[in-house]
Amino acid sequence: MNEFEWRRHLRALRQPRTPGRDLWPAIEAALDDTVVARESATSTATAIRVRPPGRQRWLLRASLAASLVLACGVGWHMLRAPTDKTYTAATSTWKPADPRLAGAAIELDAARIELELAIQQAPDSAALQRLLHRTERQQTQLRHLADQSPAAS
Amino acid sequence: MSPVPTAAHDSDDVRAAAAGDRQAFQRLYVLHVSRVYGTLHRLAGYDHARAEDLTQDAFIRAWQKLPGFRHESAFGTWLYRLAVNVALMDIRARSADPVRVIDEEHLPEFGETPFCAAEREELEQAIGQLPPRARAVLVLHDIEGWRHEDIGDELGMAVGTSKAQLHRARGLLRKALGERS
Repeated sequence: MNEFEWRRHLRALRQPRTPGRDLWPAIEAALDDTVVARESATSTATAIRVRPPGRQRWLLRASLAASLVLACGVGWHMLRAPTDKTYTAATSTWKPADPRLAGAAIELDAARIELELAIQQAPDSAALQRLLHRTERQQTQLRHLADQSPAAS
Repeated sequence: MSPVPTAAHDSDDVRAAAAGDRQAFQRLYVLHVSRVYGTLHRLAGYDHARAEDLTQDAFIRAWQKLPGFRHESAFGTWLYRLAVNVALMDIRARSADPVRVIDEEHLPEFGETPFCAAEREELEQAIGQLPPRARAVLVLHDIEGWRHEDIGDELGMAVGTSKAQLHRARGLLRKALGERS
């Protein structure tokens, strides 16, 4: 048999074939388990698109508010920092004696304020609440660290 | 390589399915399952149960990946490549299993049956007895019409290796069918 005949025989095998049973029920059942994987495979833009409109709205508002507060805070800090040495004391209710921890205290305090403002915009946001709780926990840890710091004694 | 024939009007269903419409996805399934299953059946060595599992996996993966489908090619072409990839991943995973690999000495002899008189089932049975990677190369090149470059890319092998595997597969097939190559 020559090459042409060989190829012809093999190409003749290239035909559609129907499965012996209906595979759709098993596929459809598996689709329920793939929702999470599918959402993670989707781009961020698409993921936002498929969210319910209400959820999309508050997320946008919260992120917008957080960005605005952050921008204002950074701008205000940049303008005031060189001349106003009392900035830290004005915004933070607590300042550790250890200078290594003071910066972290300022950051955490600013983050807490931003999160509280964002929560005012989106009071039902569980994600923002979680972030706030985490920030407060970090502040508590920082206080413990400050208590153990040699600068405290 | 040749794409899966696709209906001209399935783009609406593709968009709907990408947005989560299962009925649209089911229509796509009905339209494409025969071609997908046929290809996977060949790559699985005409093992019905395995081909069915692979077909299910292929459609589930298609559902997962549909939101990322860019419509740069026909949906049928995209689905076909995805399905082949599922089968090749399965072959790669199974190639580590020595039980699944059949050497030349273990291929069944079919006597002096001339190739031209071989029945279709006999030919399929012989292809099904080939070692998985050699079978994949033979199916993709000689049946599906792929180029060695594409086969090498998908199977993670050099073009020369793909050609060598094809030569080996053809030799084994001719031997199995009782023809001196």
